[in-house]
Amino acid sequence: MGLLDFLRPRKAAPAPAASSELFDDEFQRKLEMLALVSRRVFSGRLRAERRSKKKGSGVEFADHRDYVPGDDIRSVDWNVYHRFGRLLVRLYEEEEDLSIYFLLDCSASMGFAGSQKFDQARRLVASLAYVGLANLDRVTVLAMTEGTLERLPTTRGKGRIFTVFRFLSSLLPGGTTDLAESLREFAAQHKRRGLALLVSDFYDPAGFEHGINVLRYEGFEPYVIHLVDRREAKPELDGDVLVVDCETGDEREVTVTPGVLTRLGSAYEQYLGDIERYCTQKRVPYLAADVTLPFDEIVLRALRRGGFLH
Amino acid sequence: MTFAGLPLAWLVGIGTSAAAATVLLYILKLRRRPVAVAFAPLWHRVLGDRDASRLFSKLRRWLSLALQLLLLALLALALADPRPTHELGTGRNLVLLIDASASMQATDEKPTRLDAAKNVAKSLVRGLGGSDRALVVAMGAVPVPLSTMSDEATDLVAAVDRVRAADTRADFGRALELAADALHGLPNGEIVVLSDGVLAPPEPAPDLGGAALRFAPVGKSGRNLAITAFSVRRYPLDKSRLEVMAELANLDGARAEVELSLLGDGAIIDSERLVIEPGAKLSRFFPDVGGARHALEARVRYADGHADALPADDHAYALVPERRRAKVLVVTAGNTYLEAALLLDEYLDVTDVKPSQYPPTGAFDATIFDGVAPPPADKSGGLVYLNPPATGGPVKLGKAIAGFGFDTWDKKSPLLRFTAPGDVQVASGHALEPGPGDKVVGASDDGPILVAGNRSGRPFVVLGFDPRQSDFVLRPAWPLFVLNAIDSFSESDTSYVSAYRTGEVWRVPVPPGAHEAELATPDGSTRAVPVEDGRAVTFGDRAGFYRLTSGTDAARSVTEFAANLSDLDESRILPQKKLTVASHEAPPPAVGSGGVRRELWLWLLAAVLALSVLEWITYHRRVTV
Repeated sequence: MGLLDFLRPRKAAPAPAASSELFDDEFQRKLEMLALVSRRVFSGRLRAERRSKKKGSGVEFADHRDYVPGDDIRSVDWNVYHRFGRLLVRLYEEEEDLSIYFLLDCSASMGFAGSQKFDQARRLVASLAYVGLANLDRVTVLAMTEGTLERLPTTRGKGRIFTVFRFLSSLLPGGTTDLAESLREFAAQHKRRGLALLVSDFYDPAGFEHGINVLRYEGFEPYVIHLVDRREAKPELDGDVLVVDCETGDEREVTVTPGVLTRLGSAYEQYLGDIERYCTQKRVPYLAADVTLPFDEIVLRALRRGGFLH
Repeated sequence: MTFAGLPLAWLVGIGTSAAAATVLLYILKLRRRPVAVAFAPLWHRVLGDRDASRLFSKLRRWLSLALQLLLLALLALALADPRPTHELGTGRNLVLLIDASASMQATDEKPTRLDAAKNVAKSLVRGLGGSDRALVVAMGAVPVPLSTMSDEATDLVAAVDRVRAADTRADFGRALELAADALHGLPNGEIVVLSDGVLAPPEPAPDLGGAALRFAPVGKSGRNLAITAFSVRRYPLDKSRLEVMAELANLDGARAEVELSLLGDGAIIDSERLVIEPGAKLSRFFPDVGGARHALEARVRYADGHADALPADDHAYALVPERRRAKVLVVTAGNTYLEAALLLDEYLDVTDVKPSQYPPTGAFDATIFDGVAPPPADKSGGLVYLNPPATGGPVKLGKAIAGFGFDTWDKKSPLLRFTAPGDVQVASGHALEPGPGDKVVGASDDGPILVAGNRSGRPFVVLGFDPRQSDFVLRPAWPLFVLNAIDSFSESDTSYVSAYRTGEVWRVPVPPGAHEAELATPDGSTRAVPVEDGRAVTFGDRAGFYRLTSGTDAARSVTEFAANLSDLDESRILPQKKLTVASHEAPPPAVGSGGVRRELWLWLLAAVLALSVLEWITYHRRVTV
């Protein structure tokens, strides 16, 4: 940074697209279309029919366990007692609404150099939230940055989509990425487990695995949407430069040559591959969302790929 | 190996400073342009591979520094100008005498002989060996070195280009002496004369000190017409009229029909065709010339319109003698013959006074004392004493003599110009005793009778007898003598006014009191010239009209005069193919015998250039970064 740059006031981060621009009428029409498509994809299923792993007072038998004093005597399976002479209690799967958590990475890299990642991410979150709301799921949107969370309270019903729009429009990219810390806080605050849709570029200096593992270990069903902007792997640089990490300020002297750029492209692809391989190995649904693709196409891929709504 | 360039102390200083600056620049961290990236660990991953070869990277950086230091070392070595010692010992020392005389302006070589000589000189310079040295000398009326004894071809070629031909002859003898002096003590000396061979052989032949004399002839043709003399005069007894004399020479081997034109103040006033035999001279007088008030010019050319080879001597210049009314004071008791003589010149203002009335008021150019010698007053001008008394005159009277005449006289004296006093008979008079510095103009066997001289800055003429006591007054010589004396004082000359000759030192009279004068030359330039003994002294090397300005603003004086080549020898431009000095014929020079210049600094610079290109390529190919 030169002296003039030092003396000059820092430029403010680019303002997020206004709600009217980000979620305009065209966007909303596409949401309706996506909602219809989602119904066709999941046709035959009734709403609120998702079986939770929670055992409780549902109608569908799940298992037996030994009777302990204090159990409701009406739940004792007398037929088994008659046949085997043991007091067993019937367990039923509890039926409940699906909780969908949208975890949006709001670090500085998401809005780097006018990148479309942040806008694309917000459109994807808005679209999938609408699908969820339209299916009467419990939708919660959380913005992660600097290890903290900003939260849109849980809501349901597609009439609440504008609340989601306003929340997403109010977000600004900034700060560093610490997925593990943010998600640990998320898990601590949300006891109700459900689908955790992690939308990020996974530029986490600590490693992308930690964040995903937190979700896995805390009993959430992680779904990874990876924002990919391949232009970041092909910067228009040449000569001697000092590369500075837009989040951490980490510096590195580089003499940019065609060879270096080629290796950078390879490293980027390898990084993407690492994330995808990791998710596949851990059975975590993974979707690479290229910012150059229309958001509705990405949403459709997500719906068709499955794992989001089931 | 010998180092002929900068001294070692300089080289060490320059090399150390440059090396220190280079190392410092390498030590200083390169300021790089900061660029924000989305995820620096990706770059770390890329550059981590390079870190594995960090040692090699550092090595390359040091290699780059070593390359830069090598460049500096080569440059310093080039500045030192290394030369093989054995070459220094065997080099030639040349003196190039380039003829800059008037004949070198001949156009038989295109564009001129001088240019042809320069081309030969340049080829000699470019063919010098690595250890050869040369000195360029312009051989004109005064030989002028135009360079030092140098091996720098660029300087020598520039010196050759500075040679200009003058309207003078070349002083070959002095040029040889200068060359011999320049080569004194130097091995392998050679004197190369580049000339058309129109050179006066030096007498006696100078000692060249063992230096070899070589001759590079130039010139093809000797066809030339020349005006070898050109002058104008006023008639002595009618100064309103002019007479012009021109002398032509045909220096070709064939009979020539020529056209001689006379121009007055730039306009042709006379022209005629003449036939001149081969090698002959022809004088032509233009009597009673009118139409010229100030300047006269003569031009000659072949009648068929063809030009000759040397235009420089086809023109001649002269200025019409200036006329002004001279004021003459006559102190006499009465002298009819004197009065009659003074009546012959209408441009004289004559004032007669009795000896008792002397001195009258006013200033005069000349005062004639007839039989008296009072103390001369200021502003009396030149003094003419006719039969002075024993006391008061500028010279002592000797013994009385009788029955004598002009047994001897100075035929070149302006006092007796156009006269033949040999048959003058004098009844009585006195012999004169001239003082130191006085000049005896006429004398009888009994002693001097006509003396001229100068006393306290005032010129005088003393006639030792009363002209009425002789038949002098009955002869035409009498009025001519009187008027000649007055003219010599008033500087209104009636002789042929020849222009100054180029190639000589001119001494041009200036008014008393002037210490410096400014001379405007024919080419329009001006230069200051010193004044010695009332005359401006300068060396003339160009033909044409000159204008000399002297004195202060209050008493500024302007003198105009003309200068001509007027050198028949220099007009003989037939080129000579051989040059013989002291019975030895000079062989031609060996052009380029020195071979290719073996100057190591050139190769060192070439190495620096090659390394710089290599560094540039490796840098831009990112090999050394």
